[in-house]
Amino acid sequence: MLDAALSALSGFADPGMLILLGIGVIAGLGMGVLPGLGGTAAVGILLPFAVALEPQQSLPILIGAVAVVHHSDVITAILLRVPGSASAAVVMPDGNAMAKQGQAARALALCFVASMVGGVLGAVGLTFSIPIAEPLVLSFGSPELFMLTVLGISLAALLSQGNMLKGLVSGTLGLLIGMIGAAPAAAVYRFSFGSDALLDGIGLIPLALGFFGLAEIAHMVAKKSAIAERIEVGGGWLQGARESLREWKMMLRGVIVGMWAGVLPGLGATAGTYMAYGQAAATAKSEDRKKFGRGDPRGLVAAESAANSVEAGDLIPTLLFGIPGGAPAALLLGALLAYGIQPGPQMITDHLDIMYTIVWSFAIASVIGSVVCFFLAKPLARLSFVPFQYLAPGLLLIMFVASFSDSGQFGALIAMLLLGVIGYVMKETDFPRAPLLIGFILSVPMERYYFLTDSLYTTGEWIQRPFVLVMLAILVTPVVIMVVKKVRSGRGAKAGTSGSAADDSVHAAGEATAKHPAMAGTATTTSGAGVSVDPGGSPRPLSDGHLASAGADGPAGASRGGSAPEDPPADDEGNLNRTWWPALFGALVLVAFAGALVVSQDYSSRARLMPELISALGIVLTGGFLIREGVAIARGRRRGTLWNLELSQTTVAFGWLVLFIVLVNFLGFTVAALVYVPLFLWRVSRMGVLGLSIYTVAAVALLVVGYLYGNIDMPAGTVLPVLPFLQA
Amino acid sequence: MFNPRRRRLLAGACALLATSLAVTACSGRKTASGSEAEVPSSVQLIVPFSAGGGTDTFARVLAPALEENVAGNPSIEVVNREGGESITGTNQFVSQNPNDGSQLLVASATTTYQWLLDLPQVKYDFTKLKPLMVTGTGGVIYASKDSGITAVEDLKSPPKQLSYGGISATGLDLSALLAFDMLKLDPEVTFGFEGRGPARLALMRGETNLDYQTTAGYLTQVQPDAEAGKVVPLMSFGVLDENGDVVRDPNFPDLPTVPEVYEQLYGEKPSGDAYAAYVAFLAAGFSYQKGLWATPETPEGVRQAFIDAVPALKKSEEFEKERTASLGDYPVYAGPEVAQALDKAFNVPDSVKQYVFTMLETKYDTEIQ
Repeated sequence: MLDAALSALSGFADPGMLILLGIGVIAGLGMGVLPGLGGTAAVGILLPFAVALEPQQSLPILIGAVAVVHHSDVITAILLRVPGSASAAVVMPDGNAMAKQGQAARALALCFVASMVGGVLGAVGLTFSIPIAEPLVLSFGSPELFMLTVLGISLAALLSQGNMLKGLVSGTLGLLIGMIGAAPAAAVYRFSFGSDALLDGIGLIPLALGFFGLAEIAHMVAKKSAIAERIEVGGGWLQGARESLREWKMMLRGVIVGMWAGVLPGLGATAGTYMAYGQAAATAKSEDRKKFGRGDPRGLVAAESAANSVEAGDLIPTLLFGIPGGAPAALLLGALLAYGIQPGPQMITDHLDIMYTIVWSFAIASVIGSVVCFFLAKPLARLSFVPFQYLAPGLLLIMFVASFSDSGQFGALIAMLLLGVIGYVMKETDFPRAPLLIGFILSVPMERYYFLTDSLYTTGEWIQRPFVLVMLAILVTPVVIMVVKKVRSGRGAKAGTSGSAADDSVHAAGEATAKHPAMAGTATTTSGAGVSVDPGGSPRPLSDGHLASAGADGPAGASRGGSAPEDPPADDEGNLNRTWWPALFGALVLVAFAGALVVSQDYSSRARLMPELISALGIVLTGGFLIREGVAIARGRRRGTLWNLELSQTTVAFGWLVLFIVLVNFLGFTVAALVYVPLFLWRVSRMGVLGLSIYTVAAVALLVVGYLYGNIDMPAGTVLPVLPFLQA
Repeated sequence: MFNPRRRRLLAGACALLATSLAVTACSGRKTASGSEAEVPSSVQLIVPFSAGGGTDTFARVLAPALEENVAGNPSIEVVNREGGESITGTNQFVSQNPNDGSQLLVASATTTYQWLLDLPQVKYDFTKLKPLMVTGTGGVIYASKDSGITAVEDLKSPPKQLSYGGISATGLDLSALLAFDMLKLDPEVTFGFEGRGPARLALMRGETNLDYQTTAGYLTQVQPDAEAGKVVPLMSFGVLDENGDVVRDPNFPDLPTVPEVYEQLYGEKPSGDAYAAYVAFLAAGFSYQKGLWATPETPEGVRQAFIDAVPALKKSEEFEKERTASLGDYPVYAGPEVAQALDKAFNVPDSVKQYVFTMLETKYDTEIQ
């Protein structure tokens, strides 16, 4: 075994091999930077070249690309608040908080080092887990996977950043959005309303890009500002590197979580990254925890080391069982098949050399990728000082292309835009957005493993499985601790001052009404559907979150409770928070849940259970939230702002996005870009003719090259095809 | 706000741009010129599945082999249009096709199944589309040791409740369901697995005890376990011969086929709707699983160029290596060779379809709207 490892390593003494690996790394980094494009696009572009080579040469190219995608996807997330990939959304709050203070280089350096460590340790883990992978994977059945998804969803509470009830509404809404499309346990397409584009639900890429990216672009274009408020790149990059190495324990934990998420089928990189971040936040001391989301290096380090080790973990089921965990791994599998190499246990017996070529490629690529990123960190950090209206058109083109090539559906662009509007409103009304993303990605896996668990085991059987018990304990322990704390602090708080106590009691009242009817509501629907729901089911994150709020909600609530309603929003507060808007948005969400409940009555029993439970839960939570807001409005604690300058400006910015989609619909992508980019630069960015022309030519030329040679698909228009000059 | 000079400049910039675009465009993809029947210089293989799946891999290996062997050496690009169990992409293929041969379809069993089952969303018709090249695969049904089954004879009265893990009732699982139905087996079926791989893992964990894998998956993943005595191979789905009869799978000459097992268990050859349904879905699902298709409006000369490339394709080492690795060793046919067999297989009588609908509804609570 060692022989094979060393002989595979000696292959990399050949500069040719390193060059091939370098090609892969550059493609991976390049695609990783572009929002929405990632491993799939990189491997897709490289594949035609790669299959022309021998496996020993082509694997470094492909693995090189897969290994570094999550190195560079944080760049736009940190600098522009547009996630390079869905999993990069995890580092956005912390990375951004740093960038805002002019410490972008520090944040980037933290991430790059963590990426490298994650990649290298991931490769090491890959080597050692090969012999034990089969028993490990077999020890995790449907009940364990179900519990894991529940555990993941309960993170929604942890990531609510002091807005517990809002966070839970957001998470539940995510669960509901995740249910659009084919039901996992019945041949039913849910909530597709006859639209082809919705048959498969909303893609992760349009969701992440629209919900975070477009929302940000519209907002920043409206404000005509740059991300960084202070111009000081500083010597942050060395500081960041040193800091991340100091957090080696956190990185190690991130790697372990990431590896597991990769090894287990059906979870994916984004869930794994959130879980790593969640465990970092959950295990932090409670007074420390509120730093998470506000520029905590530990969160960045844990998330990034996990994001990269997920890809390594992913290779285990891909190579040993032929079960790829994600699209890039699936493409890699395809490449192996093209060489006549079938995944399976014989990979170890017959193709050990290939296995080790993969392992080494992964490790070496991670190092090269980080070094490259490191050199780029300082110059890249300046991006955060560039006013957004200059960056916007280019970013928009990339995001819409990525979103379209993900599904091949024009409808994806519309969905992305709508999610952008929702994302913007949620951002400005201080609804935490991370819970929605988590709910969305875990919605279908949770439902799938619930039904598999339910039909393969009796409740008594599966609830007693050791891993299930462990995860139950992880879920329940914080709740118990919080109950104890809450009871104790509840006695102390009676002596508290009027302002904060009043606000807190409103909170508590809202949450109490939310909690108990939620349980009751779920229970009745459950018995109605005739299927048993385990005690760790959907109600769990609610109660968990409810209690976790004692820690996180307290200080934030107190500081806000003291301020008069007429005060302008605080620095890190949404423009529309403490106005009528949260209630308005809540009412809309309530309507959505109610509508979903009505629509789901038509589905067969196995397709109906989860949407029913989730919408009932959503109705209760949103109802509770509305009551709380109503009380606050009645007591004059909400500003009467319904419209302001910033809102008008953002509406105009969204109008520009609509214009682009309309143009694409008629003119096809490249011609639309040709018309739109100069128009935007002229009207919005007020760019000079020279700059405008160069920008447009460069952007459109890149699109054309990408379409012709990069195999990147773009939408054709109803009037014109993608490249009309071809037909002329 | 916009003085004339600036406007002229702007117009100039746009003109410049258009020229540069046109130049780039022309250097990249040259358009076909001359007679209608010429193969376009660039051809898209529309794959209605996501990148990395079995059909996508097949198309990606097929593409360079076609580039090399089709007259005129067109540049061939794989385009994934996944969604809705391949319905979305295939619908788009038939409704928005330039019909000049620049778009061809790589379809798989899932695509044909949705059509055979008359799903309301389906807008394509495989009896109208023209096959250019067709190849297939097979599969093996096996049981775990836990099931207590040691030989096919035990299936008549299984020692333990049989249980099977499936993906969805209207996908490739249907062939297995029809086999169970014909053999009068009554396994407990759980749908919702993400793929055959996870379904096999469920059997290894003891959650289920009856499973099938397609040939390639069986050979690499299950065979070693079968040799170690952890699982019991029971039967192959079989392959169709020229007469449309089910014969033994050349990859598994020692395993009886599903109809053979029926004979063994019940002492007579299978017949009737259950058998007819099994054969129809065997053809679509396995024997002719992967195909390259053109719209009927595509000029005949263009179609012929692709059909003519099939013999050379079979000699392409890379294509053969990949094909056997991912599908097993099954014949590759040029479209016309199997046109009749396909016709017969795809013209499923209404009574047989009705039989399948009834089975799905009564046994699996799956209603085809």
